[in-house]
Amino acid sequence: MKKIAISLYAVATIALMVWGFYQAIYVAPEEQTMHEVQRIFYYHVPSAMVAFLFFAISLIGSIGFLGFRRNQPVWAQVSDAWALAGAEVGVVFCTVVLITGPLWGRRAWGIWWTWDARLTTTLVLWLIYVSYLLLRRFAAGPQVQTLAAVLGIFGALDVPIVYMSNRWWRTQHPAPVFGGGPDSGIKDPAMLAAFSWNIVAWLAWGVLILALRYQVERQQQKIAAQEAQDALDA
Amino acid sequence: MDTRAILDHTFTVAAYVITWAIQLGYVAWLGLKWRAQKRDGARTSQSQR
Repeated sequence: MKKIAISLYAVATIALMVWGFYQAIYVAPEEQTMHEVQRIFYYHVPSAMVAFLFFAISLIGSIGFLGFRRNQPVWAQVSDAWALAGAEVGVVFCTVVLITGPLWGRRAWGIWWTWDARLTTTLVLWLIYVSYLLLRRFAAGPQVQTLAAVLGIFGALDVPIVYMSNRWWRTQHPAPVFGGGPDSGIKDPAMLAAFSWNIVAWLAWGVLILALRYQVERQQQKIAAQEAQDALDA
Repeated sequence: MDTRAILDHTFTVAAYVITWAIQLGYVAWLGLKWRAQKRDGARTSQSQR
């Protein structure tokens, strides 16, 4: 039953991705000032949204781990697995943001990169979570999960700064598409539909790989616990 | 098609292709990790017997 549900979800996600791509490339009209490169936004903006959401999941997992680690070991491991999965899949989406953004910028601004507040805070966010993953990969000892949880919490503090950066400071980055005041928002219904479908599609895709990453990490924890038990028994 | 339109098209295609390459590359890496884990898990349970 579980396998059927996962397969159905995966098929629905692939259908959404295809539909989102079709909307972005063939249905949405060409924007008048940015022309075709504006279509990069249909992947860039949803990827940023999903990255923020998954860093939030990593934050909740990190807080959960610190809260449960002394008296609820199973819940602590579950929280830690969510924290790691959220951080890793968040980094994947954030990488997409940091590559598609400069590709658009090169055509729209004539430069690949500028040290404005939105771009710089996003790069800092990516660096913090990459350091989180490197810590998880290379550090050893009983305190690694605790240190990672603390880093995960501090890393998540950058998410609202990234989100607010082009509201608080004057930036070269375009104004907020959603929630940026009375003039923000997408006026063309076909463009709005393409945006919305791609947000739903990338969210569905993200949830699928997040769940897969969580399962892999839980399995890893079980293998590590079994090996530790075997070493004690030997 | 003028040069500007060709470059716009090239950059848009590059963004979409790179996005999918990153996403599918990550899923492939996860799949390999999962398969290696299954193998390790089977070996651990065999050694217990």
